[in-house]
Amino acid sequence: MKPRTRSRVTGILGRVYLGAILLFLYAPILVMAAMSFNASEFYQLPFTFSTEWYERVWRNDLILNAAARSVWIAVVVTVVATVLGTAASVALWRYDFRGKRALQVLLFPPIAIPWLITGTAMLIFFFGVGIGRGTPAVIIGHVALALPYVIVVVTARLATFDRTLEEAARSLGARPWMVTRAVMLPWIAPGVIAGALFAFAVSFDQFVISYFLSEPGDSTLPVLIYTAIRKGFTPEINAISTIIIAVSMVVMLIAARFTKFGGER
Amino acid sequence: MTRLFTTAAALALIAPTLHAAEIRVLNWQGYGTDIEWAVKAFEEATGNTVVHEYFNSEQETLTKLRTNPGAYDVVLINSSFTPQVVAEDLLAPIDPSKLENFDDLDPAFVKNNGLNEDGALYGVPWAWGLTAIAVSNNDFDTPPTSLEVLWNPDWAGRVSIRDDAVEAVQIGALATGQDINDVQDLEAVRTKLAELMPAISTYWGSENDWNQYMASGEFAAATYWSGSASRSIGKGLDITFVVPDEGAIGWLDGLSIPKSSENKDAAYAFIDWMIDPEFYSGWDKEGAPATANTAAAKALPDDSFNKAVLGDPEVVARVQFMQPMTDDKREEYLKLWQDLKAVQ
Amino acid sequence: MAGGIARTDRLRAIALLSPAYLWLTVAVFLPLSAMAFFSIITDVPFGDTEWHVTGENYTAFLESPTYARLLLKSVLLGVKVTALCVLIGFPCAWVLAKMIKGRAREALFLMVILPFWSNSLVRIFSWAIVLRGNGVLDKTLSAIWPWPVKLNLLFTESAIVIGLVHSYLPYVILTAYLALQAIDDSLIEAARSLGAKWWTILWRIVLPLSAPGLIAGAVLVFVPVVGSFMEPRILGGRLGTYYGTVIEDQFVAVFNWPLGAALSFILLAVVLAILALASPVLRKART
Repeated sequence: MKPRTRSRVTGILGRVYLGAILLFLYAPILVMAAMSFNASEFYQLPFTFSTEWYERVWRNDLILNAAARSVWIAVVVTVVATVLGTAASVALWRYDFRGKRALQVLLFPPIAIPWLITGTAMLIFFFGVGIGRGTPAVIIGHVALALPYVIVVVTARLATFDRTLEEAARSLGARPWMVTRAVMLPWIAPGVIAGALFAFAVSFDQFVISYFLSEPGDSTLPVLIYTAIRKGFTPEINAISTIIIAVSMVVMLIAARFTKFGGER
Repeated sequence: MTRLFTTAAALALIAPTLHAAEIRVLNWQGYGTDIEWAVKAFEEATGNTVVHEYFNSEQETLTKLRTNPGAYDVVLINSSFTPQVVAEDLLAPIDPSKLENFDDLDPAFVKNNGLNEDGALYGVPWAWGLTAIAVSNNDFDTPPTSLEVLWNPDWAGRVSIRDDAVEAVQIGALATGQDINDVQDLEAVRTKLAELMPAISTYWGSENDWNQYMASGEFAAATYWSGSASRSIGKGLDITFVVPDEGAIGWLDGLSIPKSSENKDAAYAFIDWMIDPEFYSGWDKEGAPATANTAAAKALPDDSFNKAVLGDPEVVARVQFMQPMTDDKREEYLKLWQDLKAVQ
Repeated sequence: MAGGIARTDRLRAIALLSPAYLWLTVAVFLPLSAMAFFSIITDVPFGDTEWHVTGENYTAFLESPTYARLLLKSVLLGVKVTALCVLIGFPCAWVLAKMIKGRAREALFLMVILPFWSNSLVRIFSWAIVLRGNGVLDKTLSAIWPWPVKLNLLFTESAIVIGLVHSYLPYVILTAYLALQAIDDSLIEAARSLGAKWWTILWRIVLPLSAPGLIAGAVLVFVPVVGSFMEPRILGGRLGTYYGTVIEDQFVAVFNWPLGAALSFILLAVVLAILALASPVLRKART
């Protein structure tokens, strides 16, 4: 086989593989969306088309408010966690100091200890020190849980950054922040974007902290879903989830059309 | 943020002139107090507004009450947990004179020893029901009469019990002919449950999974709550609720007022509405547990699930009502249940 | 935190690090130290509960084989899921980083994470619908396969693994992508033109250079999977009892925070020990 044909074959195989993975990733999402159009309340087959659940969501202020609240909390959390996390990652990468390993190890407790325990601990502590409950408390908690993810992902990207580039820029007289902005940030941008996407996912799916720390009546979507399960939730949940995914997809594809963040090469 | 504050400020200005309060109710989601028409009727009649917060387990209710003094006005507590909450001094005693419907409540429930402490009542008996079994009519031409159906090899792989240590032990106690509140031979329960484990397809955890698994044929027979069975039947699931010969577990839920509540009058008004026969007849149509109000129970139509299944004195005679339980006992049962689950 | 670094650098390091770490201290470390305290006392001091210091909550772990058995089961699950995520995710990241060019790459990069902007509980219930006997998977396979297929994967260990791999795969794909995309194509071209076989290139160039991303991804999978309880419970049915389950029970089924906290810290210690043991191997892979 000639090299060119071989690379074309691997190219096709690679795309087929990628397609298969995407199918796997989207399989439950497609089922979720399908069930939002299924008349059966118990996700029973055979499938009978119905838009009833969408009509009910449209009239259900509880779900709409919770969804809106979840989205804006997640956006705030994403911005804060990404900024703080990226700053910390840069410091962890650039400077060598005693205790650095310890700081890196400290990122694991929030990931390893089940959220239920961390959430309960936060509840007790926040009351002890007077932060209390409410949306600010919820955001504080979410940011803390999202930070380790951002730091781990951005640090991994920074590990590939060529230090000599930074040194070269510095030796040419650039100030440190200019070096950071002009040389380093563009390089780590894909890492920062990935970190932000994870931070959003962490906040948007976070149940325990919102459950313990939000005010009555101010539920987020996960709280509504988890507390509904005992008495049974309806495909309205599928409908709102489908709407959110569809809207996110449109926003993301527009973002992908107009910006470049996947890296230069 | 600012909008939140201005709304709060506006509310604070209006509130005193209306003498209306916002009462906060802590309950399971979808369990009676949050039915839309009922809340609306209450809000229109009294001018008070109702806000709900939901919990996922009794232990979390306790945690919420402990850490949020003043946050709740009405809270649902299962009578087997009430003494624990009373012991922590979190509840206010109930003054029956503030409830118009109080005299219609079943005296047996009012005297329930879980709800009473030192001569004072700490929970208004509200709803009760049974944990027994429900079977799929697709699989059973005639419903079984014995709890042994769960152990029947014909249905191995298609039976289920709830993932709850106390309930599992109590089902085991019923199956071995013991008093659910005073299990003498715990080893017999362990052995009996160990025999059941391999036949279980999955433990159920909520009405939601129960309905789905029953609808998709994963279950043929499983333990279930009476109120939930009535709801599931109402939603079109083809099942029969059976109170087996060995008996069933009875439970009673009360509505309590936290000591720290600042809207006790409004809380009383809400509880009074919750035990009103008019509310109950509406709730029953949507699928409800049994009421503790005898007048409301009598007013039910004869074909109603709660009258047909739970109104039969012979059935009621077989029920063993859950008594209050210490946390040590719960921990002992949990350990037993975890040990059983861990070796699967 | 003085090392061998200059004073201005030290100030900069502090300025960059302190917002994140102060935040973590207030919202996670201090609350967790309260939990650590609970783990060495007999009862949570609410109201006027009697309590005293004890090591019982930790020794309870050793007294019953249940906890150790479940922890081992959870660690093995973590290893299995992590290995699968790496094996499946790495080639995927390679395709994304090296074979796809232009705008499509940006879009695909986002598409990988998007499914996780949905609720995990809804996602798991959707998997249950896919995997159950006569469910979506069985029906689809029966339709394309000449013979009827009866896999009935629901309530098996495979179902748990499928659900968890699905939940955590994006971490590996994206972190591996970040590292792979940074490798200069000319490096690979040079090796190839010098006659290196593809496995030599993979083993000597690509893997060492992408190790930081791959390791970060693997850690982000392994650590939470060991403590997971929701996916196992719903997808594993009777077999779905894991170490995370017994921790959760101490908070939900009974009010035994001290034991629950002790079990969590044992989990944390074991996870950190495993990462420490693995790190010499991983570091070797990096160089």
